[in-house]
Amino acid sequence: MSDRVTIGAPATPASIELVQTALATLWEQQPGVTARDRMRFETALVEVVGNVVEHAYALDQGTTPGSRQLELEISVDDSTIIALLSDDGRPADIDLGAVTMPDPEAESGRGLALAIAALDDLRYVHADGRNQWTLICVRVRP
Amino acid sequence: MSEFDVRTTDDGVGVVTPRGRLTMVTARRFREVITELVAAGTTRVVVDLAETTFLDSSALGALVGGLKAARLAGGDLRIARPTPAVLSVFELTNMDRVLRPRDSVEGAFDV
Repeated sequence: MSDRVTIGAPATPASIELVQTALATLWEQQPGVTARDRMRFETALVEVVGNVVEHAYALDQGTTPGSRQLELEISVDDSTIIALLSDDGRPADIDLGAVTMPDPEAESGRGLALAIAALDDLRYVHADGRNQWTLICVRVRP
Repeated sequence: MSEFDVRTTDDGVGVVTPRGRLTMVTARRFREVITELVAAGTTRVVVDLAETTFLDSSALGALVGGLKAARLAGGDLRIARPTPAVLSVFELTNMDRVLRPRDSVEGAFDV
């Protein structure tokens, strides 16, 4: 049973499909993870990857789309599910402490607020020339 | 990926059924499908979420956009039959307050 998956891919919307397919395979090999934990982890991961992809397009104007590379490692143990996500793009300039859920009438701006709500911990740093995200889901005992 | 079934009921209600995952990969097309229905005069729209396995914040944004377009045209947009997993996304974002999930497609416009 594999308890770890790693992915390297360009920062494009298509990579979201790649991440979700890899997660589906991981869940098959980890049947002990509850449906609720799968859903909240997948929700948060898709939002964070989506945020990285969006910023890759917004910040890298003039360069080739998809030239920014994502590195993702997901690991599962008895108590936690953790994703480490990094990319080589410009600093994302994000203050997670200032993120709030927009009004229900808003058409955008929910992504990181949703990720924070779904996870037990979300961290972002820019270090060693990379944007680095850590997503932590503390597993609920069935 | 997801695909969209679109039909119109005998009562003139448009029904959009996304199948599979609804994410930023497909959200733009999803929004277009709704706004095209509204622009063509079908201003009451039900989004049947029974076969939607996953839904992200860009899909929520598309739903809000569709809701606004429908109301601007004198109609409304309702959602029906979300799975527990998809419903949790509505609850985490407080979206269940403006898009209250209905139990059936047929009864989505009853009240």
